[in-house]
Amino acid sequence: MSVADSAIGSRSAGVRLLRLAGSLKFALINLAALFVGVCVAYLSDSRTVWALVVPLASSAVNLLAAMLTNAVFRRQLPLLVFHLALLAVIVLVALGRLTYLKGAAEVVDGGSFDGVLATREAGPFHGDAIAALSFASHGFTIDYAPGIRRGATRNEVAFRNAAGRLETRIIGDQQPLVLAGYRFYTSHNKGFAPTFVWHPAAGGVPQLGAVHLPAYPLHEYRQAREWVIPGTATVVWTMLQFQEIILDPDKADQFKLPGEHDLVVRIGEQRWQLQPGMSVSLPAGRLEYVGLRGWMGYTVFYDWTIPWLLAAALAAAFSLGWHYWRKFAARPWNREQDDGTTA
Amino acid sequence: MEQLLELKLLWAALVAYVLCGSLAIVGVVLRKRPERSVLALLLLGLALHTASIAVRWDRLGHGPFITMFEILSSNIWSLMLAFTIAYWRIAAIRASAAVVMPILFIMMGWLMMTSPGEGHFPPTYHTVWLFIHIGFGKVFLGAALVAVGLAGAILLRRTARGAAWFQRLPADARLDELAYRCMALGFIFETLMLIAGAIWAQDAWGRYWAWDPLETWAFITWLALGISLHARVTFRLSPRTGALMVLAVFAVAFLTFFGVPFVSTSPHKGAV
Ligand code: HEM
Repeated sequence: MSVADSAIGSRSAGVRLLRLAGSLKFALINLAALFVGVCVAYLSDSRTVWALVVPLASSAVNLLAAMLTNAVFRRQLPLLVFHLALLAVIVLVALGRLTYLKGAAEVVDGGSFDGVLATREAGPFHGDAIAALSFASHGFTIDYAPGIRRGATRNEVAFRNAAGRLETRIIGDQQPLVLAGYRFYTSHNKGFAPTFVWHPAAGGVPQLGAVHLPAYPLHEYRQAREWVIPGTATVVWTMLQFQEIILDPDKADQFKLPGEHDLVVRIGEQRWQLQPGMSVSLPAGRLEYVGLRGWMGYTVFYDWTIPWLLAAALAAAFSLGWHYWRKFAARPWNREQDDGTTA
Repeated sequence: MEQLLELKLLWAALVAYVLCGSLAIVGVVLRKRPERSVLALLLLGLALHTASIAVRWDRLGHGPFITMFEILSSNIWSLMLAFTIAYWRIAAIRASAAVVMPILFIMMGWLMMTSPGEGHFPPTYHTVWLFIHIGFGKVFLGAALVAVGLAGAILLRRTARGAAWFQRLPADARLDELAYRCMALGFIFETLMLIAGAIWAQDAWGRYWAWDPLETWAFITWLALGISLHARVTFRLSPRTGALMVLAVFAVAFLTFFGVPFVSTSPHKGAV
């Protein structure tokens, strides 16, 4: 065999391989593998991302090879658009998974979000633009239907818009604040925040701090937590006590702060019962209880692919409609097959 | 008072449906064609059922989307509507009512066993996506039901008795082609339903997809449908194989629509 012959031979072997990679049977295998993968991922508790990633990656190769080799796609434009859109969806989902962020943040009324997340889960290539973001929360209201069923949340937030001007807006569970592509949604996670001012004995600037007690009403009977006075090693246990019914199960109600309440503060063996304005004197300084506020928990989501995914998915749906329209309008269902183009 | 009216209307509708279904089945078995009466009873049942849903909607201030009772009722309504349209427009396949109606009877029996009490309408449901998402889902399931009627007839015709019953239906290959077209239509709407659901989920929960049980099952249904359509263009399938695939896809879809939302306590019920 000459050199030229073997080059032709290997090229046709390549073409054959490409045909195989783009074959309809391989597509069926991939779809079946994805089906199994979804079931595996759904049923098992351990991390089974591979069960989805492998068939999706294999489908992407399959689709690409099919578009290069299968003449059906040259004859039927809608079918090509549909499969291109499917490929785009797979690629976008992959990109999205590499760069997304999902997290949670908590902000006390009158305080601000300063780029720090309480929990965070992100793709390996997620940047840290969020660290530079900030907004202030001006408080919130939440409606409850009888039976303590949470209704709409309205949270007023202030932020600097793209033009650098201060803007306020009401956001909620379904109207996020969008800053640099990050979406902040209010969540069911919210509660009371006893607020203190710490006056260090050695002088220096007094510091304001809020203790976010466990979510209310989710943890109605656990309204206590430990925290550490800033700049010291002093551990403080704080518990909120009140008689008032905050959310009446028998009527429509609104989330509110308890009016009359006691704040129990324990440091080591010592215990105090405080009202707003009262202080605890410690060797390192004075801890003043200034009052109760609310805190709101936010769900934070970032995924730049969303609008593109939507566009690709809609393109898939419409091109599929177009494909079937052409295919079915060409021949009534109850006439015998004559041209071999339909199943 | 109003609840009583609503239930009376519903019962009357169910009686009309059951009469209609029985007539259709008897017609097929005795090889008679009471088609006008069947169509009239279908329309009567639908009118009464629509009135019942409207009264309840007006009383509760929200549509039938929350409790098992509401979901079953509204799906029986939409499936009946889909089948009525097929029955009216495609006269050649009317005998398939004898397959479709028993499936709806099962749903009606189930409906009668569920409590008509009201549920809480979650804040996440105050959106137009509710209607879009559910509307697409109903078209999908309706199209699939018509296909199931045809697939059932294809399979029953393999027995001597079934062959006699469904004698007047077009040939298996034609039924298979029509069932395929219904499933293709269903696939488009199932795709749209997933898209609308993702948009809604992004609004409601700040993520468009999270593999919650219902999302996962809806995707499995979509895949099953995609596999069955692909299998048709990959292999030359016999009408019997095609029919079995239609039934399999419908079974998965049925489980997704009426099983998953009620066995899982996870999200996708919206309320926290
Ligand atoms: C993985 C790689 C894939 C390849 C290589 C592929 C290839 C093809 C080809 C060549 C056709 C045209 C068949 C013909 O008319 O002769 C086709 C049709 C089709 N494909 Fe795919 N496909 C793939 C994935 C998918 C996926 C993931 C879906 C959706 C679940 C899908 C859904 C369809 C549908 C609905 C049709 C139209 C069938 C009909 O006309 O009834 N495909 N595909």
